[in-house]
Amino acid sequence: MGTGGGAWIIPLNEAVDVPVTMVGGKAAVLGRLAGAGLPVARGVCLTVLAYESFITEGGLADVIRMELGRKSLDSMRWEELWDAALRIRSAFLTAPIPDRLAGAIRESLGRFDGRRPLAVRSSAPGEDSASRSFAGLHESVVGVAGADEVLTAVRVVWASLWSDAALLYRKELSLDPSSSRMAVLIQEMVSGEASGVAFARDPRDQTLDREIIEAVPGPCGNLVDGLVDPDRWILRHSSGEVLTWKGGERESTDTAPPLLETHEVSTIHGTLNVVEQLLGWPPDLEWTDGHAALTVLQARPITSGSVRDGEDARTWYLTLRPTFERLRALATRVADVLIPELSREAARLAGDELEAMTDDQLARAIEHRHDVLQHWRGVYHDEFIPFAHGVRYLGAYYNDAVRPDDPYEFLGLLRGERFLAAQRNEEVHSLAKELRAEPGLLAALERCGAGSDGVGPTQWRAWRETVGACPGGPGFVDRLEQIARAHFDTAFGDARLADRPDLLVSLVTRLARASDGVSRTAPVETQALEERLYAGVGPARRKEASDVLAIGRLSWRLRDDDNVLMGRLEGQLLLGLAIGAARLRARGRLEGDGPGEAQAGQVAEALRGHSTDPVMLGPRASAEAPGAGAASAAPRQLIGQPASPGLATGPARIVRTAEDLGRFHAGDVLVCDAIQPTMTQVVPLAAAIVERRGGMLIHGAIIARELGIPCVNGVARVTDLVTDGEALTVDGHLGIVSVGAPEFDLETAGPTRAVATS
Amino acid sequence: MDDEPVLGGAQDPEPSGVASAALRLRIHALVENQPFAVLCTGGDPQPYGSLIAFAITDDLRWATFATPVTTRKFQLLSRSDRVALLIDNRCRHQENMMEVEALTVTGRARQVSERRDLDRWSALLVGRHGYLKTFVRAPSVALFAVEIVRYFHVVRFQEVQQWAPAAEPGSSR
Repeated sequence: MGTGGGAWIIPLNEAVDVPVTMVGGKAAVLGRLAGAGLPVARGVCLTVLAYESFITEGGLADVIRMELGRKSLDSMRWEELWDAALRIRSAFLTAPIPDRLAGAIRESLGRFDGRRPLAVRSSAPGEDSASRSFAGLHESVVGVAGADEVLTAVRVVWASLWSDAALLYRKELSLDPSSSRMAVLIQEMVSGEASGVAFARDPRDQTLDREIIEAVPGPCGNLVDGLVDPDRWILRHSSGEVLTWKGGERESTDTAPPLLETHEVSTIHGTLNVVEQLLGWPPDLEWTDGHAALTVLQARPITSGSVRDGEDARTWYLTLRPTFERLRALATRVADVLIPELSREAARLAGDELEAMTDDQLARAIEHRHDVLQHWRGVYHDEFIPFAHGVRYLGAYYNDAVRPDDPYEFLGLLRGERFLAAQRNEEVHSLAKELRAEPGLLAALERCGAGSDGVGPTQWRAWRETVGACPGGPGFVDRLEQIARAHFDTAFGDARLADRPDLLVSLVTRLARASDGVSRTAPVETQALEERLYAGVGPARRKEASDVLAIGRLSWRLRDDDNVLMGRLEGQLLLGLAIGAARLRARGRLEGDGPGEAQAGQVAEALRGHSTDPVMLGPRASAEAPGAGAASAAPRQLIGQPASPGLATGPARIVRTAEDLGRFHAGDVLVCDAIQPTMTQVVPLAAAIVERRGGMLIHGAIIARELGIPCVNGVARVTDLVTDGEALTVDGHLGIVSVGAPEFDLETAGPTRAVATS
Repeated sequence: MDDEPVLGGAQDPEPSGVASAALRLRIHALVENQPFAVLCTGGDPQPYGSLIAFAITDDLRWATFATPVTTRKFQLLSRSDRVALLIDNRCRHQENMMEVEALTVTGRARQVSERRDLDRWSALLVGRHGYLKTFVRAPSVALFAVEIVRYFHVVRFQEVQQWAPAAEPGSSR
């Protein structure tokens, strides 16, 4: 088989009789077309055997098994898959290609002209079929020049077999990732004056006698990425007659003539027919047309996902990694429009005089707040979450340029960003520091809090008097209330933190007692990392790198701030509900727990209603319901992701509600679903952190690393499996949480059953 | 993984030196083919067993493995250094007990702490189990070297021979 590299490398026009399992779908099809004399760019194919040689000799098969075998794929969230994919990609980029294989690839490049840039494209077996398409999920690298660049590009394409989006899509399709292989196609780049796609049938209804041709000026990538609106022809499939033509929207408002001449449309129609006859199925072609010659870039079966407005799982997974252009557009909109608007909205709602409103006005205000919140949740999902990818984009970009040993080295570039949550935490710590210098005041505050499981505003007034009588007391109370107003007018679960000054008091007193300073890890040389990045990309790409860095940093800061601001909106809804509920209760018209957000409609209705019947609120949705069957099997060692290094032991404190925040003591192990920016103020008290939600770039992992606190995250069902108060040992080096001490109490307690002797 | 080669012929009467060499080869082949072992730790009074990834030196005198310091086996090892390892090929012969070959290895485990020793023993372990590279380097992981006293080699359900590396002529430490 093949030449040069033996079984590793096959010239594309010789790939016609090679099994698709060896060269992948893309190369197999193009090989057949080339073999039949159709115009296909010159190319060579690296078979799956080349990939296998690379991953076996480089120890990468072990890396993949470790990354994907540690937890079941089903229990891994997208963030965890992204992390695993980043580490795999990093290992692929730093592993050398075996000498013989690298030599064979270099030798195969002698087949090319040498002047034209090359495209290095994925060609995975089973990549495209009529029922599924991996289009866009695996990477292609274009504009590659020189053997070294080709070898790098080949590794990038191999690694993309394990990209987050590709892993998620395989998970969706129940394909076993461990059996995945990747062939690679290296082709000369052909870029005509116009390029496009052509469908031998209408993808929306393949029974119709219709075919579709789309064309854009320049390369085809602009169309595939949706950056340019195409000209579109609909033809009668049986005759090639043009039924309609619609010009694409261009920047120029002048009416432009069609991008393709009639005979060019006919050529594409003819090519579709020839390809269909050759392959036996109606194809979806990518083509480019220059100097009156058509070149086929790719042919695959038409899937329903072939239409760009189709919404299949693949389309969604592709949104998980927006292009840099999309990120740039999102950055402008999020930073300049949405975040200021959200901030203004929260301030506007906070300015409403709810107490002075009539019942009717209050009911309207509650409904309005509910609507506003729903609107912003939509924005959060559609725009804030995609923009959060900016930091991941920076991570992959940095790793490609620098190839560091630690794939998370880039996080050092993000230190020192001015988060809203960080500003809040600094003020709280500064207050704790002042309190430490006033032992009498500190003792008085602790006496107030002793035996109290939390107080409301009424008891706070009594505390205020006691504390105000101490030296330094009045100043402390002013600062505390000012911090509460500025930073704690936010929701945590179904509680509004501004209504619970006692929580802030207990936090500040515990911080004051905890230590005289927050532990910090070694300072990171942010400037040095920046220089590494610039050196890695070279002077020609310095501006691009600077833009990627700016977007990454903005994304990093705003993903934290948006959560804090959303918490403020939630807090405003809860405030309206609390005032409404107080009025209804005073009239004996409200019974039951709450109200929480879910009861907004009921409370508003009750405020408007003229009936005197009491409103029954259902029991508040309990966040404490443990998973079914949690008690029967006791966990001893739980596995997650090592998110911040260190080893620590302490009692588990499960935080679900604002009350739990109040019960959090120095030395506790913080166990929660996911640390939110609205709760990071308690983190410095924690001996260690354990979260259900996994990922190296989620809030808990980030703050833990900054404070040097061990953290394990991605521990499935941890808040169900661990009991409050239970001793936990958290190993942030390995991602292990040990529950209880290693003991043999059961074995050494003596026989509990008589052994039958006859 | 390839099946183990059948080496030697323990059932045939042979001069003792030849039989010992043959048994040594069989032991070597089995430990080469089985990457995992059950580590048995003593306890007062409760014994314990754990599955471990191990490597053994070519002269069959030493074995090495690593464990997080948060584990029960680490706690037991710090109380008593006497250990046993069970190494067997039962996964290959689930249908026929008579074909299963097993080794019970006894010895004493000590935690490796010197930098030079750490490098040597971790290289041996990682050389066999490449995926443990990061694990072995973690600060919360302890590396152990087991000085092997004796091998009990079991075939055909109950046929047991023993072999002690220290008694092997010409062997050196």
